[in-house]
Amino acid sequence: MSDMNLSKLSPFRVDADELIEKFGLKEDDFEKANETEKESMVEMHKSVSFWADAWRRFRANTVSMVALGVFILTLIFAFIGPMIVPYTYSDQFRNAQKLGPMEYSEDEQAILNVAGLCDAFYATSLNPGSLTALSKGDYYFTYKGTTYAFNLEHAMEKKVILLNVEGYDDAVIVVKESDIEEDGTFEEYEVLETTSEASEGATEIELKTSIFPHVFGTDSQGRDIMVRTMFGARVSIIIGIVAALIVLVIGSIYGSISGFAGGKVDFVMMRIVELIYSIPEILIVLLLQVVLKDPLQAWFDSSKSSFAQAMSDLGTGIVSIFITFALLYWVTMARIVRGQVLQLKKQEYVTAATALGASSSRIIRKHLLPNCVGQLVITTCLQIPSAIFTESFLSFLGMGVSAPMASLGSLCSDALETISLYPYRLVFPAVVLSIIVLSLNLVGDGLRDALDPRLKK
Amino acid sequence: MLWYIIKRIGASIVTLFLILGITFFLMNMVPGSPFLTEKSTPEQIALANAKYGLDKPLLVQFKNYVVNYLQGDLGVSLKMQEGTPVKDILFGQGKFQLSIKLGLISLLVAVIIGIPLGCIAAYNRGKWLDGFLRVMTTVGVAIPTFVLATLLLALFAVKLQWLPTLSGSLTSPKEYIMPIISLSFYYMCYIAKLTRTSMLDAINQDYIRTARAKGVTTRTLIIKHALRNSLIPVITYLGPVIAGIITGSFVIESTFSIPGLGKYFVQSVLSRDYTVIMATTFVLSSLVIIMNLFVDIAYKIVDPRITLSSQED
Amino acid sequence: MEENKNLLEVKDLKVSFFTPAGEVKAVNGISYTLGYNEVMGIVGESGSGKSVEAYSLIGLLANPGKVVGGSVTFEGEDLLAYTPEQMREFRGNKVSMIFQNPMTCLNPVYTIGDQLMEALTCHDKNIKKEEARAKAIEMLELVGINNASKRVDQYPHEFSGGMRQRAMIAMALICSPKLLIADEPTTALDVTIQAQILELMKSLQKKENTSIIFITHNLGVVAEICDRVSVMYAGHIVEQATVEDLFYHPMHPYTKGLLASQPRLDADGHERLIPIEGTPIDLLNPPQGCNFGPRCKDCMKICLREKPPYADLGNGHISACWLHYKDLKKEEENK
Repeated sequence: MSDMNLSKLSPFRVDADELIEKFGLKEDDFEKANETEKESMVEMHKSVSFWADAWRRFRANTVSMVALGVFILTLIFAFIGPMIVPYTYSDQFRNAQKLGPMEYSEDEQAILNVAGLCDAFYATSLNPGSLTALSKGDYYFTYKGTTYAFNLEHAMEKKVILLNVEGYDDAVIVVKESDIEEDGTFEEYEVLETTSEASEGATEIELKTSIFPHVFGTDSQGRDIMVRTMFGARVSIIIGIVAALIVLVIGSIYGSISGFAGGKVDFVMMRIVELIYSIPEILIVLLLQVVLKDPLQAWFDSSKSSFAQAMSDLGTGIVSIFITFALLYWVTMARIVRGQVLQLKKQEYVTAATALGASSSRIIRKHLLPNCVGQLVITTCLQIPSAIFTESFLSFLGMGVSAPMASLGSLCSDALETISLYPYRLVFPAVVLSIIVLSLNLVGDGLRDALDPRLKK
Repeated sequence: MLWYIIKRIGASIVTLFLILGITFFLMNMVPGSPFLTEKSTPEQIALANAKYGLDKPLLVQFKNYVVNYLQGDLGVSLKMQEGTPVKDILFGQGKFQLSIKLGLISLLVAVIIGIPLGCIAAYNRGKWLDGFLRVMTTVGVAIPTFVLATLLLALFAVKLQWLPTLSGSLTSPKEYIMPIISLSFYYMCYIAKLTRTSMLDAINQDYIRTARAKGVTTRTLIIKHALRNSLIPVITYLGPVIAGIITGSFVIESTFSIPGLGKYFVQSVLSRDYTVIMATTFVLSSLVIIMNLFVDIAYKIVDPRITLSSQED
Repeated sequence: MEENKNLLEVKDLKVSFFTPAGEVKAVNGISYTLGYNEVMGIVGESGSGKSVEAYSLIGLLANPGKVVGGSVTFEGEDLLAYTPEQMREFRGNKVSMIFQNPMTCLNPVYTIGDQLMEALTCHDKNIKKEEARAKAIEMLELVGINNASKRVDQYPHEFSGGMRQRAMIAMALICSPKLLIADEPTTALDVTIQAQILELMKSLQKKENTSIIFITHNLGVVAEICDRVSVMYAGHIVEQATVEDLFYHPMHPYTKGLLASQPRLDADGHERLIPIEGTPIDLLNPPQGCNFGPRCKDCMKICLREKPPYADLGNGHISACWLHYKDLKKEEENK
């Protein structure tokens, strides 16, 4: 519609032919259009639901998506990792203290040397046509000039191939698994000299075909650092999430009551919040750690409920952290929720609901909370790293989780003693801790961008 | 203004009293007595309790603490250094001064570097400098203080030996570098992030549009109109920063083996030295509360609206 | 020539917002001229593009908005070709603006005087502080603020809504601009205050010889103050006329609808208000034909297919509607 030309078209002056030609006017063009025709003109833009829209914006945010991916990886590391690694956080390995990343102890190296011989070991004695179990006891054999000793506790060890062949008394022969026929016979083999006599200076080994490497090394007590880091990450994440949920529940209930009640109730409740807010929490947290230790332990010992059992698994340190969060940390959340409620209370739909006689609790549930949900999600998400920080801080000071259980903070604290010799012991848990906090912060930021209606313009 | 300050001081005293109360009753919730050891007999414990007034009713004990503190008497240590006046433990050999110095410098560093960084990031929004600062601050708030402290220690003192490993007394200025960086870095990054966000928020306000319509230059727009408004949330955050820096010093002091105040609090809690716990709580909380008072006053100076609506949140 | 006659000429201005969901043509080719000392009203529903158009004139468009076509000529100079620095110097000096919400449009942390003086100092670096202050007080007095020498040191929150809007007007006029753009300046105010502010603007306009572009959705306000009116719908000007023509001989169905939907002071009180049915169109998917077609009770078949051209109805009255051509078609048939 280039109006500079068209403004010259006046129905009172213009040549009708020109108009008809320009727009291709037809006979019925000036008849009234019916309703359906009118409706067909409008193609309303598909309206997108709040959550679908938020999710679209979140996905468009590359940084947050990557952070979410990284956080899921840390979840896998913390929760699935320990199932894959054949160690636990309390296993101590003899002669395997203070190993560097990917290093093996001498014992483990010996096993690996022998493991290189074949694909699998079977401890049997071989008679023509049958595989007979090798009897229990100690055996020795020599391989490439080193004498190894192994012990058979069970008559038959799966996974282990050690064949006692007739004609080679107590000999260990090594057969490739692929060379064994279906009927258990084989032709290709290698004979190792063996004896059941005690042999001087033999290296004791377990018969295994592989050793899971100590990817992050081991600590001074011969515990695998990677598996401890995994357990530590698990503890930290659980603490973070549970503490954030506690804060969410208490804070949003308190905040919405305060904001909704208004007047004197609100005034008193907010003065309480202000008081708690100005208490330096860490002082109280530290005290609580000490104070709650014995009573909690007594409760764990006496109570048989499954809840107490679950709490007891976590240990007094962690439970005191939860209690601290429940007592002190909800104030920020309460303030945010109250602010949201106050803002929403002014909205007309709430006035309308009140006018229609809806009860207060119904208004909170049906109108106010759903509208604060964005803020709640964001604040909760950002609360998790703060809880993780608090826990690691306490563990670092020697409170928090108790040995042999590990948290990322206690791992860092343990590593501090040997920082000059084994800096990697600090680096691994510290990096994992930072990655968890970083990814959660970034996810939280992304959620804020996606959910904050102010940016929705 | 004066009335406002008086009201704030009143509130601060209530808070302090509350903190002391909580600490006192928490301490006494633990069964047993600080003198309980494997060797001690019930008679010895009773004697010790009587000596330090622990056999009196709790309320009387609490009243005594408060009255003594009002008179400037912090009592004597029960366990850590039995019989030594707590005043000497906390303030002797410049411990208190050391902690204060460390805390104040860290606070200044966090504020004086953090705010400009946030402004620079907001001003260069979307450019590489903003990107770089965002990465730095985001990573900065993901590294716990103690991790940063130990990593700095390992790198600069042990590996590179650029900075002295700590003698424990902080005599040369060089020795301050690592503790202050570790203590302030997190808060510096947080303040920078906060400044950036609130700055960008302020830029979208109607009054900024008005100023632009007046023909104000971009520079004035940012420095005069946006900054002062965006400082309001930053100042609100300073309260937690102060508490955080003071409690953060617990970790820093133990990592760098600095004989400050924080270290004693942790030790006293662990050894249940009641008088030292109470005194340290008293001193540290007073510190936090007094600093918060200053923050509140600064808040009022920056935001003139407080006069009318200080009670409305 | 024309440059001397007109202060501002806008030709075929197009402004689009580039959103993730697609291009929103908020202003889609509008043209008008504004003479010296003239007050033009731009009327339309919210979302019709009237504010966007005004912001684009003085380079205040916020992201993701962009001028995508057309020209804006102010006293013979092409505003769209200005560098940001030229534009800044121009804003507030030759053209200034007042906004809808006086509550949020003044910076809460500076005094009224500070903000008034700033409008002076950012265009005249050499002005003395006392001079600027005297001028600020003078302007506050001019807009009817009592006790101005004391008020000048107060903060916005110490002013009432009406007083803030007066202060905004004082700030806008302090550099004696040739053009004042008023974006819904009375919408957020009480009715009695509204009348006062309008009265003030009218008298100041006469006194200062300023041209005004008055943006509003309230036709009553338009009748009060404007010489000429443009009615906007979905990014287009659908009708433009002198205030008398528009009120007494509205030609476009949308204008008629607007008039019928608002109470009139001259009515006898028994007239019913008739709302315009439907909602404004989705600018992401504008209809093929007339934008108002879906809501128009006189919609014809041609309206479904083609956008209507402007019809010149004489005396500067133009209207974009196919209805004006209906008779012409009949005439043709009669031949």
